[in-house]
Amino acid sequence: MRLLTHREKIDSCESRSAPGRCGRIRRRLLDSASHRLGPEAPWVQRHVASCPRCQKRLAALTKVDLALSAIKSQPHQLGLLMQANSAAVKMLNHPLRREAQERRLDEAKPEPCLMERCLGHRYAVANVAACVAILFLTKAGIFSSFDKARTEGQEVMKNYYTSQVGEDLAGEVFES
Amino acid sequence: MFGKAVSYDLLWDSAACEAVHESQRWIVVAMQKYGHELVTMLWRILGNEQDVCDAYQTVFLRLAHLEGGQQPRWIKAYLFRTAGNTAISILRQRLAERKTLSGMAQADKEPQAMEGDFDARYLAESLRRHVAQLPDHLRSVIMLRDLGELSYREVARIMGISSGTARVYRCKAVQLLAIWMNKKEEE
Repeated sequence: MRLLTHREKIDSCESRSAPGRCGRIRRRLLDSASHRLGPEAPWVQRHVASCPRCQKRLAALTKVDLALSAIKSQPHQLGLLMQANSAAVKMLNHPLRREAQERRLDEAKPEPCLMERCLGHRYAVANVAACVAILFLTKAGIFSSFDKARTEGQEVMKNYYTSQVGEDLAGEVFES
Repeated sequence: MFGKAVSYDLLWDSAACEAVHESQRWIVVAMQKYGHELVTMLWRILGNEQDVCDAYQTVFLRLAHLEGGQQPRWIKAYLFRTAGNTAISILRQRLAERKTLSGMAQADKEPQAMEGDFDARYLAESLRRHVAQLPDHLRSVIMLRDLGELSYREVARIMGISSGTARVYRCKAVQLLAIWMNKKEEE
């Protein structure tokens, strides 16, 4: 709470009197603090020289700083900004959302092709086809085979009776 | 740092800008005002020119279609936050692609990079890889402060936190990056 009040005081002071002065003082304080307490401070350096754990930590932090510097120092092509700007402006000039096709695409509904539409009735069609096939087979094959078998059977029986009881009696039995 | 010696007017296609619809002029103004800083930040995050163009385009398209073409309250904040998020998405995508598609090639490259410890390119790539893994709040501070070169005050305002918190977040982010980068090397 006390800190907050102090902070508010600083802010109000900054806005009231010389705006750059507080900033300058703050920067000086920070510089001074980092000089006395930062990694370059002599007492820190002395400790680091004799402490392997701190050496390791400091090296790791330095590595991050180095990596950040490496990223910052990699220059991009001079034309990159222009390239990016023109691509973005072109996109603004020609937004896809204002294209004539956009409304049609917005309202478009999926229309399945004939094959896909028929696919829904495939079981019914298969059932009907099976019935037709059974009927056809019954009509064309099985019934005629039954007739043929019956005729042939009668013929065999007639021959049997002829041989057993004579032609006259067999003729009477089978013709009636 | 942003190479202010370069005349930005030379990098601007005025004819194309004039063709922009009246209602979208403010976007072009924002582009002129913050474009260079954005491109620099995107370049530092992504390190690839094509990706920079893609991210830049995405940022301004999002700005143009924000709530029916309305201007955000603070355009700079919107642009930098959107740019950061877009860039991180692209970076993660690229890292995943690289990991899956060229695992063998990377395995060949790693030892070479390890040999030259101060190979700037390797260090930069390693940092990018680790920045992409940072938690959101820490990553945003690192991106805005170190890669976007915004002041702590601006970073704090963009993120809706105090300057002190922004400093703490940056410190934590650097510590985390240091641990990760060091761990990788030890392995």
